[in-house]
Amino acid sequence: MSQAQDDSASLYRKDPKVYPRDVKGSFASLRKLAVIVLLGLYYILPWLNWGGHQAILFDLPARKFYILGLTFWPQDFIFLTLMLIIAGLSLFFVTAVAGRLWCGYACPQTVWTEVFLWMERWVEGDRNKRIKLDASPWNANKILRKSSKQILWIGFALWTGFTFVGFFTPIRGLGQSLISFQLGGWETFWLIFYSFATYGNAGILREQVCKYMCPYARFQSAMFDKDTLVIAYDEARGEPRGGRSKTVNPAEKGLGDCIGCTLCVQVCPTGIDIREGLQIECIACAACIDVCDQVMEKMDYKKGLISYTTEHRLSGNESHIFRPRILVYATLLLILIAGLIYSVNDRVLLRADLLRDRNALYRELPGNIIENVYTLKLINMDFKPHRYKIEVLNNDNMTLLISPEPRLESEEVGNFILRMQAPENAGRGSMKVDVRFSTLDEPIIERTVSARFLMPFD
Amino acid sequence: MKTEHPVNRRWTMRQRDWAVVFWIAFLSAAAGAFVLFGLVNPLDMVNNWADQFDIGMKLAYGLAFAFLYIVCLMASALTMFMIRTGPSRGHATGKGNRAIPEVHDPSQSNPDIDGEDWK
Repeated sequence: MSQAQDDSASLYRKDPKVYPRDVKGSFASLRKLAVIVLLGLYYILPWLNWGGHQAILFDLPARKFYILGLTFWPQDFIFLTLMLIIAGLSLFFVTAVAGRLWCGYACPQTVWTEVFLWMERWVEGDRNKRIKLDASPWNANKILRKSSKQILWIGFALWTGFTFVGFFTPIRGLGQSLISFQLGGWETFWLIFYSFATYGNAGILREQVCKYMCPYARFQSAMFDKDTLVIAYDEARGEPRGGRSKTVNPAEKGLGDCIGCTLCVQVCPTGIDIREGLQIECIACAACIDVCDQVMEKMDYKKGLISYTTEHRLSGNESHIFRPRILVYATLLLILIAGLIYSVNDRVLLRADLLRDRNALYRELPGNIIENVYTLKLINMDFKPHRYKIEVLNNDNMTLLISPEPRLESEEVGNFILRMQAPENAGRGSMKVDVRFSTLDEPIIERTVSARFLMPFD
Repeated sequence: MKTEHPVNRRWTMRQRDWAVVFWIAFLSAAAGAFVLFGLVNPLDMVNNWADQFDIGMKLAYGLAFAFLYIVCLMASALTMFMIRTGPSRGHATGKGNRAIPEVHDPSQSNPDIDGEDWK
């Protein structure tokens, strides 16, 4: 190896383990609030009931999704698709306006890592104590602290896995099964799998997930423009950096406002130096803003050496909130949300599928009557039981016979045999008939479906 | 005779990557379709709503394969994107990436800043 190569190789070393230092401040409080609200929702929601059901339950065996008082059936797949599109578009919109707000405050990776870090700090101490503990030889203190941390992490991960399964299997029953050691095979598998994923992602992998595995970090640049909020270090104000006493006038010493304390690096959960410019690893958690503001305050300097800003503002230009990209995202989002609300409200809580019997085109009955047989699948999507009236519209010649009586309990699916009869002279060939299904009680829920009625062709 | 491109007709890296994405996704979808439909009748997998269209067996196989192919293509393309935009070779051993930020006691040459848990 040449001398030059040797020198350049020595400039680099392997990424060290990141030990984020605890930070206090307005953004840290905001993140704590986000963690409490989001994880609170995650852990509490499955225990709440709404309209006689678990508030959020994705009942896969029954193929029904209960979301806050609404029941979605397989036929309502379009609503779930719409919700996913709205969620995706919201992410685009928020990213275009405020950068990686999602990464810093709401991403499950950030939120669970934060909780795992709280536990780690509580047991092992803050940054430097953890570094010292990791470097120290194994002794009683280290074994006690490390095992206590693992017990807390594993316990929390198992609780997380249990709650996750509780979104798919009624959680109260699941809890009883767990206590009585009667958990089913699949429930056990998913509980352990999700616990392991939580433990691995939030306890072990942490920032590696954001740096190497997350696709969102990679294509966020497509959503950014010069008016997007980013966290940036004011290089013009901060440089040249250097240590100094509070009493020293930095201008006299030819220094900028950055005192080179490296606290911004120490609090960073991804272990980067924000002073090197905007980096893909920055999850915009604003921990560096909080800590730098505190340092500026101690030094009696103006706050905001590291701040939420835009590329335009940094280069001395004016920032714009309303710009074509934002307006397009916002308009699309509004249209989709309005469409979703309207279509969910307008949803008919009755579904009817009428399928012709494939074995025979038609049957000739005594008395010159032609009969077609159908399989009727009726779904009562309402929370109340109903009896139904079935009639053929605009065709007085047609008689309907159904067995058994069309009566369904709440959210029941029923299969019936529907026979339609018409006199032989009523027509020839294939005829379109509209069949109307309606409830016999108030308020009337009705749906009309079309079917083909076959008569002799000659 | 002199040619304008000395390595004429060779694909660029991007073209090669896309060709691999399409071909591997096709192979995966084909293998998936073979295994899946060796076990399951595709017509049994759809709800009654499909009966209205009276889709035949061949169309059902075709649609199911197309679906599998699209899913495999998406996975393949996203994998390519992640690899292309990820850190370069040698990153794990420290070659080519940014230098690790320097970190020291905050009170070092800053007498007014306390070291807090550095002590």
